[in-house]
Amino acid sequence: MKGLQIVVLGSIVPDPLQTLEPIAGPTGPALKNELMLPAVLDPWAGHALYEAASLAKKVEGKVYLVALGPKAKLQQVMMNVAQKVPFEIVVLDGPAGGFADATETAKALAGAVEKIPGLDKSKLLVFGGWQSASRGTGAVLQMVGEMLGITDQFQGVDELVLAEDGSFTVLERIEGGCYQKSACQGAPALLGWATGNLPEPPNNPQVGMQNMRLIMPALAKATPSPLKGEGLRYASVEVPSQRRDTRIVKDAPVDDIARELADWIRA
Amino acid sequence: MTDENTSPQPEGALPEGFERQRMDVDIACVGFGPAMGGFLHTLSKGLMNEDGTPVVESKAMPGMPPQVICYERADDIGFGVSGVVTKGRGIRASFPDLDLMQIPLATEVAHEEVLYLLDPIGASRKPLALRLADKALKALGLTKDHAYALPYTPNFLRKEPGILLSMGQFNQWAGGQIMGQGVAQIWPGTPVAEPIMFDQVVAGVRLQDQGVDKRGNPEAGFMPGMDIRCQLTVVGDGPVGNVGRKLDEKLGLPLGNHAREWAVGMKMVVDLPEGCQLKEGTVLHTLGFPEPEIFGFLYVYPGNVASLGIFVPSWYDSPVRTGYRYLQHWMQHPAIWKHIKGGRMRSWGAKSLQESGRKGEPHLVGDGFARIGEGSGTTNVLTGSGFDEAWTSGVLLGVSVLELMKADKPFTRENLEQSYVRRRRDSWLEREAKAAEKARDGFQVGVVPGLIGMALTGLSEGKLFWPGASKKPHERIPSIESFFQGRITADEIAAIRRECTAKGLPLHGALMDRAGWPAINFDGQLLVSHQDALLMGGKVQAPPGYRDHVTFKNQNVCRTCDEKVCIEACSGQAIATNPEGGAPLFDREKCVHCGACIWNCSKPAPNGGESANVDFQAGAGGLHSAEN
Amino acid sequence: MKVLFLAHSEADGSLGKAACEALTAAKGLGGELMVGLYGAEVQKAADQIAGCGAAKFYGVAGGEFATARYGSDASACEAMAKAAGADMIVMPSTSRASRVAAGVAQRLGAAVDTRLTGLEAADGKIVATRWFYRQRMLGKIERDARPWLVTVDSGCFAACEAAGSAAVEMLNVAPATRTTVTGVIAPAADAQTIRPDAKLLLVAGAGWGKTQPDGQKHLDDASSLILSLLAATQCSLGSSKSLVDQSGEGAALPFLTHMHQVGQTGSTPRHQKGLATCCHGEEPHVVGWRFIGERRAINLDAGCGWAQGKADVLYVADAFAVAKKLAELLK
Ligand SMILES: Cc1cc2nc3c(=O)[nH]c(=O)nc-3n(C[C@H](O)[C@H](O)[C@H](O)COP(=O)(O)OP(=O)(O)OC[C@H]3O[C@@H](n4cnc5c(N)ncnc54)[C@H](O)[C@@H]3O)c2cc1C
Ligand SMILES: Cc1cc2nc3c(=O)[nH]c(=O)nc-3n(C[C@H](O)[C@H](O)[C@H](O)COP(=O)(O)OP(=O)(O)OC[C@H]3O[C@@H](n4cnc5c(N)ncnc54)[C@H](O)[C@@H]3O)c2cc1C
Ligand code: SF4
Ligand code: SF4
Repeated sequence: MKGLQIVVLGSIVPDPLQTLEPIAGPTGPALKNELMLPAVLDPWAGHALYEAASLAKKVEGKVYLVALGPKAKLQQVMMNVAQKVPFEIVVLDGPAGGFADATETAKALAGAVEKIPGLDKSKLLVFGGWQSASRGTGAVLQMVGEMLGITDQFQGVDELVLAEDGSFTVLERIEGGCYQKSACQGAPALLGWATGNLPEPPNNPQVGMQNMRLIMPALAKATPSPLKGEGLRYASVEVPSQRRDTRIVKDAPVDDIARELADWIRA
Repeated sequence: MTDENTSPQPEGALPEGFERQRMDVDIACVGFGPAMGGFLHTLSKGLMNEDGTPVVESKAMPGMPPQVICYERADDIGFGVSGVVTKGRGIRASFPDLDLMQIPLATEVAHEEVLYLLDPIGASRKPLALRLADKALKALGLTKDHAYALPYTPNFLRKEPGILLSMGQFNQWAGGQIMGQGVAQIWPGTPVAEPIMFDQVVAGVRLQDQGVDKRGNPEAGFMPGMDIRCQLTVVGDGPVGNVGRKLDEKLGLPLGNHAREWAVGMKMVVDLPEGCQLKEGTVLHTLGFPEPEIFGFLYVYPGNVASLGIFVPSWYDSPVRTGYRYLQHWMQHPAIWKHIKGGRMRSWGAKSLQESGRKGEPHLVGDGFARIGEGSGTTNVLTGSGFDEAWTSGVLLGVSVLELMKADKPFTRENLEQSYVRRRRDSWLEREAKAAEKARDGFQVGVVPGLIGMALTGLSEGKLFWPGASKKPHERIPSIESFFQGRITADEIAAIRRECTAKGLPLHGALMDRAGWPAINFDGQLLVSHQDALLMGGKVQAPPGYRDHVTFKNQNVCRTCDEKVCIEACSGQAIATNPEGGAPLFDREKCVHCGACIWNCSKPAPNGGESANVDFQAGAGGLHSAEN
Repeated sequence: MKVLFLAHSEADGSLGKAACEALTAAKGLGGELMVGLYGAEVQKAADQIAGCGAAKFYGVAGGEFATARYGSDASACEAMAKAAGADMIVMPSTSRASRVAAGVAQRLGAAVDTRLTGLEAADGKIVATRWFYRQRMLGKIERDARPWLVTVDSGCFAACEAAGSAAVEMLNVAPATRTTVTGVIAPAADAQTIRPDAKLLLVAGAGWGKTQPDGQKHLDDASSLILSLLAATQCSLGSSKSLVDQSGEGAALPFLTHMHQVGQTGSTPRHQKGLATCCHGEEPHVVGWRFIGERRAINLDAGCGWAQGKADVLYVADAFAVAKKLAELLK
């Protein structure tokens, strides 16, 4: 299957260990100090990108990353991501936060995918993370798929094996630690990735240099994509307190502890 | 100039099927701190014509604009650690229209105060002279909250008019400006392993291997660190950068110079409690407590946020000098605590400072390389400022490099001497660094001579100082027994050592408890365990696939080492007692890359020289907070 | 207001627990309730909830709808939703329903919100609750747009029980798809250690693989102790990142995979109780415990994270010794 076009949809999220606090912004809730928080590529979307690159390498395909996010932050994050695998970026300058409406995000992304020059849907695989680490709806990809007319969709993907004729098999995560295995005749298809199987690629300066030649201009001509935030209203957003009154049992005989635990488990 | 076919190291070391890749650029830069910011900003501004065409062509890639690449080891350019209060002369010259509103957490200095802190606990090791002074101050009713506010801020400490910045936020902002200029690329997450040298000539840098295990052995995804060849290597890797230190090892320092004085700065950014009286732009400097050698600072950012911390210097001759515990005692000093109690830690971090200043200046240039920033001796040890000095050194190099490029002159030692070094010698940087050069010599003798010496130097603008000969850092560190002599008996120390080692714990907690320091009552917000500070404040992370960047040169020496200062002083609890005996254990995932282990080891390196038994290389990861 | 409860039947034809819970959520909205069911067969499932008060049952059934497949499931849901013309559509958050819900909403021109943990109608308004930023913030949301399709998480509502016999109107749907589901790969039965329906979650941390006070590692002991606790309690097994990262290559515990990881970058399971062993209780791990009701931990370190308000009880003890005794007691 030569010439596959893999479009990865992915944006940024706050670096995972940062302290997140909601505040009321002009257009709804937002994160406190959102622009100061360091950001990373949304982890599952990152896996999708690395899987895409690995696949593209095998089939002489091409990888696009379509990202909707604040341009300045995207630029920062790209300085890390761009060293990892080759791709071409399409930038939509708009909000990437978890409080944005999934449907509006999907519309913006689908529009950007449609506009990719030379897009051939018969060779198109749309990738992304099966959920974002911000909104976590798992909705955006499905909707983008529908908007692009793609009805072979897979979610929670950990493995994709492509055959010579372009058909492929997929392993999707389902309940109980199991996988569902499917076979698909080929592109167009949409895959929402979980972690996949690849280690994070090393930082390669040459890949970085090569990517940057396209990334900086793409950032410069990013399409402003403010989301309207219509329809979705937030009554409240809060960080629930999880603190408990911990009883600390020290210097107790093992037998006593085991008995107490056994009673608790049985209760 | 160089023989392109010879390699600095035998390639045979690589496993079969792997080749070390090479990339050619024009200028390779190591580290992105304020120094590199100054350099890249200046270079970028001068390298493009109005119409967007480059002033000169790339030599590495003819037909292209000059290829300028900067490699930063941290995972983001905003993960640096500093104060920062600065007069900002260099910054303002680079950005005449500087609008502080554009940089989060930045503000103007509004009020400065120096506090001499008395010891409300009685555990501090104040020498008699200071104790008497404390008594006198108290008796005269000059103290409030166990602190004496100096009636005025001596000129040499004054930063007004000046700027308060967050290092992380400033670097992010400056990096954004530079990338936007389109000349230079700044790549974080890319530690540089070493300079590529042919004799005395630097021909580029080699990046760290990736896809390796702890020991550096290839694993899945192995990628040998790439060789980046260039005409000019700009070394701005800060006080503990290993490219700078490798150059020093190879080339030595100019006669009479040595970089032996250090301090670790440990700090927090704190959401101040509601109703806190501190006004935005306030700058507090403290001295005297928790130990007389330990200086402190508290700066108030906009939005009721403060940046605060302490410096624990190498001339505080304690073998159990843990910054974290001291930071907590300092924070709880009544004069500080009254402001911050009830606040919340947002961020935490630590980093070494090169405290030798001008005296630690290395060879600034050589064939194919130039050095800028703190690693080149810019930090002013009298005024305690390094930020604007670092930036300015970068600016001076930027101007010089532009001059050489436009004149099509190669980056030889001579040419760099005539441009960059000459400019540095003519600058305010040099003038002030010279005046400050001997300011801290007195500390070599003792803390009182040190304080007096600093004041002398400061007030006389460098004409007077208290002399003191320097020692290598490891030579200064006494045994635990002699340090606690008269306070804790050798037998007791032996018992504490046995007990702690069995539990895999450092000794400082037990020793400080024993010395009379009260236990810290964690409140889960501001006073948290060291581990929690790493996680909640520092957000410390380490990407997989890199070797351990801290190793012990001679494990046998460690085995018999009684001080194990490396463990006691480690800012990240990344170096831990080996319960099986032997060399300490290093946990890369906790390391904050502060570099304190470089100078917190009591034994000389097996091969002699200035350094001690710890080997500190460049690694990826560390702090993930962009507010420090 | 018309409310459609939309769910799939299980392989055995029944309606799963998660679906029965979602039905309760749908009922709670008030209004006129309808049910849409899809799967290989749906009558059994419909009978299971016949008395739920639904005015109408729709069904789409057949071999083509036996397995979770986007093309067929989405068409089935679309057909039933169109037939019902509902204002609110409520689906469970099973992996099967989740993979089509938003796509179906798109086909219907409906608004969509997924993985709700709360859904209430009050004063003519419908307020939905869901988590943001990986379970770190809880938001209450409202929408005026209808139809509004939502999926609700399991464990948030009581399961609806209302057996009887239901008359189901079957709809004909011809799905277009180029995908065939070829099977399910389950971990070997005895290795099935992730059990979402279990009452207890047992978390194994990196301490199991660490050098113990006797200077040795006891990986074999660790393995057998953990497995015997699993066997004795039929609990679900979770792990910390550190332990999972060490697994494989025989370095740690062979039955652990990244699917076991609980936490910020792992899963957020729902169980009534949770017991953490040899796990330090660092924040990135503990955020995955958000939906664990009662929490206890065994750790050698009295200063570990669990002590700081993260567990109800912390036993400062050797987990090897406690686990051994506990397994005996529970046998
Ligand atoms: C707690 C603290 C408080 C301070 N307060 C003040 C103050 O109030 N005012 C003031 O003026 N100064 C202050 N300073 C000093 C000031 O921060 C430094 O002088 C200044 O940051 C030096 O800048 P630099 O660019 O030379 O080096 P750095 O800021 O150290 O930057 C060097 C960069 O190089 C990177 N690097 C190192 N090795 C490698 C490698 N091998 N490969 C790739 N990258 C590498 C590092 O990660 C780092 O980002 C303070 C310092 C500390 C620690
Ligand atoms: C971006 C990011 C995301 C992360 N996501 C996750 C995540 O999703 N899930 C996750 O788990 N972690 C995550 N982490 C890692 C997390 O911060 C911790 O490092 C990890 O949870 C530690 O695992 P642990 O507690 O098992 O191991 P350790 O911290 O090594 O703790 C081992 C514990 O075992 C105890 N112990 C040892 N022997 C015994 C014994 N015999 N009896 C009783 N106790 C004993 C020790 O006292 C110690 O407390 C993440 C980290 C980052 C940076
Ligand atoms: S590194 Fe230095 S201080 Fe640490 S144990 Fe070894 S010799 Fe002692
Ligand atoms: S090991 Fe890391 S954290 Fe510890 S002193 Fe050395 S550099 Fe600092």
